Amino acid sequence: MKNLALVHRLSGIALAFFLPLHFWALGQALQGEPAGEAALESFLRWTDQPLVKFSEWAIVLLLAIHLCGGIRILMIEFLPWRNRQKTLAAVAAATALAIGLMFALSSTAHAQAGPAPAQGWPQKPVRFIVPFPPGGATDISARLIGQKLGDIWGQTVVIENRGGAGGGVGAAEAAHAAPDGYTLFFPSGSVMTANQHIYAKLSYDPEKDFVPVTNAVSGPQVLVVAANSPYKSVKELIDAAKAQPGKLTFGHAGIGSQTHLAAENFVNAAGINAVQVPYKGEGPSLVGLIGGDTAFAVTNVAAALGYINSGRLRALGITSKTEFAQLPGVPPIAKTLPGFENTGWFGIVAPTGTPKEIIQKVYQDTKKALESTDMRARLYVQGLAPVGNTPEEMGRAMKEETALWARVVRERKIKVE
Amino acid sequence: MTVRTQSILWVAQRASAAVLALCVATHLATMIYAVRGGLTAAEILARTQGNTAWFAFYSLFVAAIAVHVPIGLRAVFGEWLDWRGASRDAVLCFLALFLFFFGMRAVLGVFQ
Repeated sequence: MKNLALVHRLSGIALAFFLPLHFWALGQALQGEPAGEAALESFLRWTDQPLVKFSEWAIVLLLAIHLCGGIRILMIEFLPWRNRQKTLAAVAAATALAIGLMFALSSTAHAQAGPAPAQGWPQKPVRFIVPFPPGGATDISARLIGQKLGDIWGQTVVIENRGGAGGGVGAAEAAHAAPDGYTLFFPSGSVMTANQHIYAKLSYDPEKDFVPVTNAVSGPQVLVVAANSPYKSVKELIDAAKAQPGKLTFGHAGIGSQTHLAAENFVNAAGINAVQVPYKGEGPSLVGLIGGDTAFAVTNVAAALGYINSGRLRALGITSKTEFAQLPGVPPIAKTLPGFENTGWFGIVAPTGTPKEIIQKVYQDTKKALESTDMRARLYVQGLAPVGNTPEEMGRAMKEETALWARVVRERKIKVE
Repeated sequence: MTVRTQSILWVAQRASAAVLALCVATHLATMIYAVRGGLTAAEILARTQGNTAWFAFYSLFVAAIAVHVPIGLRAVFGEWLDWRGASRDAVLCFLALFLFFFGMRAVLGVFQ
């Protein structure tokens, strides 16, 4: 038993030497530049060096030995287990625990170190979670960009539509996905900047769960009515709404969605009282409008353009300050409501923890995709304009927009419990 | 060194040992979970950053180490090197502060 005490003491002395070194090295790596996950990755790669690996193993081994001795001492002093057999059994149990510790730590170091995260990425299909059903502007944008990125990466970009709760269903799924670069989130702006003010309970945190990659495209919205609607202009619609307060209804892609906020913005600016009808996406809301379920919608040009061109919807006004090239003859709403303007955007964000190298690659490749002539032409046809700003610029823009929507939502008392 | 101070050090040594045994066991369970889940450094940081519970746990871990190590070395210095008195205690106080500072620096790196 004296030998065990001696071993305990010697291992303690050695640990007293190694532990400060371990703390210092880890702290040095994490406090340095770059900070965060890149620093930890580089620290783990540093621990792959033979000498460092030896000292890490030494710590684990010493910790195991010291733990055994310590548990034995505690048992002898605090428990009535002075019997040699029982003490040895306790030491054996502690040894098993210590061996488990050694195994876990060594495996962890191996698992974490791995290759540099962006090397060879992507090596399998990449998933774009779109938080609205097919047919809406978010879906159209994601499919256009996803296809081009797939060509650049030599991998399929799979578009997964997860509609519901104003984009909250898809956002929650993306937020909890592994941050390995193989799941990216393609939201409309409001999912990231407005929902947190509208929903009392949100199953994702736009700021904590995601990191910005790039704002891919943006575009104005258009005030539309069904082709057989009696309203031929913005003024006629406003006059009708004022004549029968609370009677006219407008459909949108879900509470808190970009189309909901655009419509609320219009209702607010026009000073009318209209009733909102939430759908599970922009596509279904336009089907409802054509079917006569609602009176009007302020929807993204990309989603409505096909219906307008085929004569099923009538465009009354555009939310941009000037006339929009793809909708000639459709006046800006600002002509009736001076100063009115509303723009929607669709971008890429990644689950927090996604390696920075991958985020940079997705940003740069998206920018490259947006600069291509064929992509610009396709976006133009859909009534969308390329943006492709940096992750930092996107982050700043989202913060500004978050503050703006906080005010609008408060003033309009838009709340979902 | 009064008997009372020695008693306090003895209790602190045992109490910190008990805390360390629990912390090591928890750390072990966490590491096994992380390995089985195949978590990368980035994924681990995504879970620890801003998580107050993990911050509190690892702070306790570091505090227990900062208490346990110098008291253990105090006995070793006294019995094996016959080094006693104020100089020994000053060095060990410095060691305790060193361990706590650099330990918390590492914890903050994982938390922030």
